Amino acid sequence: MPVIEVRDLVRKFGDRTVLNGVTFSVEKGETMIIMGGSGCGKSTLLRHIIGSMKPTSGSIKLFGEEITTMPAPQLEQLRLRFGMNFQFGALLQSLTVGENVALPLVENSRVDPAIIDLIVKMKLELVGLTGFENLKPAEISGGMRKRVGLARAVALDPELLFSDEPTSGLDPIMTAVIDRLTHDLTRKLDMTAVVVTHDMVSAFRIGSKMIVLGAGKRAGTIIAQGSPDEIRNHPDPEVRQFINGEPDGPVPLKLSPEDYIDRLLGHPRQKGVAY
Amino acid sequence: MTLRAELRTFFFLNREILRWIFLGPFQGRPVRTAAVFRQMVRIGVQAFPMTALTSLSIGLTLAMQGAQELSRMGASAYVPNLVAVTILRELGPLLVGVVVIGRSGSAVTAELGTMKVGEEIEALEVMAINPVRFLVVPRFLAMLVMLPVLTVFGDYIGLAGGWTICHFAMDMGTATYIQRLMEAGHPLDLYSGMVKSFVFAWLIILISCQSGLGVSGGAEGVGQATTSSVVTSILAMLVANAVLTAVFFVF
Repeated sequence: MPVIEVRDLVRKFGDRTVLNGVTFSVEKGETMIIMGGSGCGKSTLLRHIIGSMKPTSGSIKLFGEEITTMPAPQLEQLRLRFGMNFQFGALLQSLTVGENVALPLVENSRVDPAIIDLIVKMKLELVGLTGFENLKPAEISGGMRKRVGLARAVALDPELLFSDEPTSGLDPIMTAVIDRLTHDLTRKLDMTAVVVTHDMVSAFRIGSKMIVLGAGKRAGTIIAQGSPDEIRNHPDPEVRQFINGEPDGPVPLKLSPEDYIDRLLGHPRQKGVAY
Repeated sequence: MTLRAELRTFFFLNREILRWIFLGPFQGRPVRTAAVFRQMVRIGVQAFPMTALTSLSIGLTLAMQGAQELSRMGASAYVPNLVAVTILRELGPLLVGVVVIGRSGSAVTAELGTMKVGEEIEALEVMAINPVRFLVVPRFLAMLVMLPVLTVFGDYIGLAGGWTICHFAMDMGTATYIQRLMEAGHPLDLYSGMVKSFVFAWLIILISCQSGLGVSGGAEGVGQATTSSVVTSILAMLVANAVLTAVFFVF
């Protein structure tokens, strides 16, 4: 039984379709990488899977249970089994770093405060932030906040970890540390992970399965899906452009001079007028 | 949002709060007592200087205006009566309410709004921590306790303001002033003021929390929500005050 099963997921904001028929599944112990250009709906997809957004249509199953129609108390129970690492950390500004990491333990477990203290230190050690327990989130850098977010996400040793761009804005060494951590958690502890990322190096380092969301006309649909090797050798030109990081290709950046003028004017050029 | 949708959210929030206060403890989810006391300090204790200043100045001006008008009819001895009834029944609860809305209600909205914008509320939900229980209930209880408490303090300080004028400007003895107060003010006046401040507290904190949790659209959204929370709270309080005054006259 797959840990995550998403079928025909459609989400519309007004007339804009952000997700259009997304279907994929993740097995236990896999690391699923979600890739795609900025604004293609990666974070929206993640928000649907964790149940904070409801789809327009389609089905999402976590641990075999349908979450789109699940009542709130049951969803809360399910949420104890997964951790979410937000893009900007989403730490509680009023609490210290240590209290933030301890929060899931204090609220959702009956562990002795002395043990919680120990777990907090262990989790902060994992992300290389020992000794920062007593600082407020406002006093540390964005990259550090992100790592605290990861420490908090794994505080309850979840079966399933969601990570929204865990390595963007980190230096190469820290990126490697975080990648190693994700890798170890999934390979050694059999945790399942879903990671949204732009970072190709990191994606191929930790991913065991990948999906690429399209841009332009194919926005909100999966244009490629498979193992890292399959994605690396994928024939689709848009996937190739994305992986190799080329400025021009199916996702256009440069326009012809005529199109450029049209776009600036907001209407087609008049005939016989020199621009 | 339409008024109807706003009202529905308002009653939903009410229900949720009461559920977490009364049913939560039986489901192993007790009220976070430490957080309640922390909020009591922020909402109530820190609002005390401002409340005291406002009440004192109102007590003073009330006595001055009263003395001026009443002395024309040779009734300046009734200044304490005027001060007692006005402050206990009307101005005390109302003014303390306005101060607390401006100082603490707006702070609650801005804080919750900033948390909403910073994805903190969503993060709480994903960690299976209910934001109403975690954030709203402590603020609600703190306000429900502290606003009536501040009102009692405000009443006393207002009466002391009246005393300053009577004592220093009108040569009325302190004993006479207190005696006149006791004659003029019935316990019922004080109780009606307390009931009012309790109702005000309920309205203020619910409107503040609802506005904060409903924020969308970044820093600008937080600003708008704070403004609208202050305006709505004051309006709701004035309407409630008129209704309650009418009700107390009937009884």
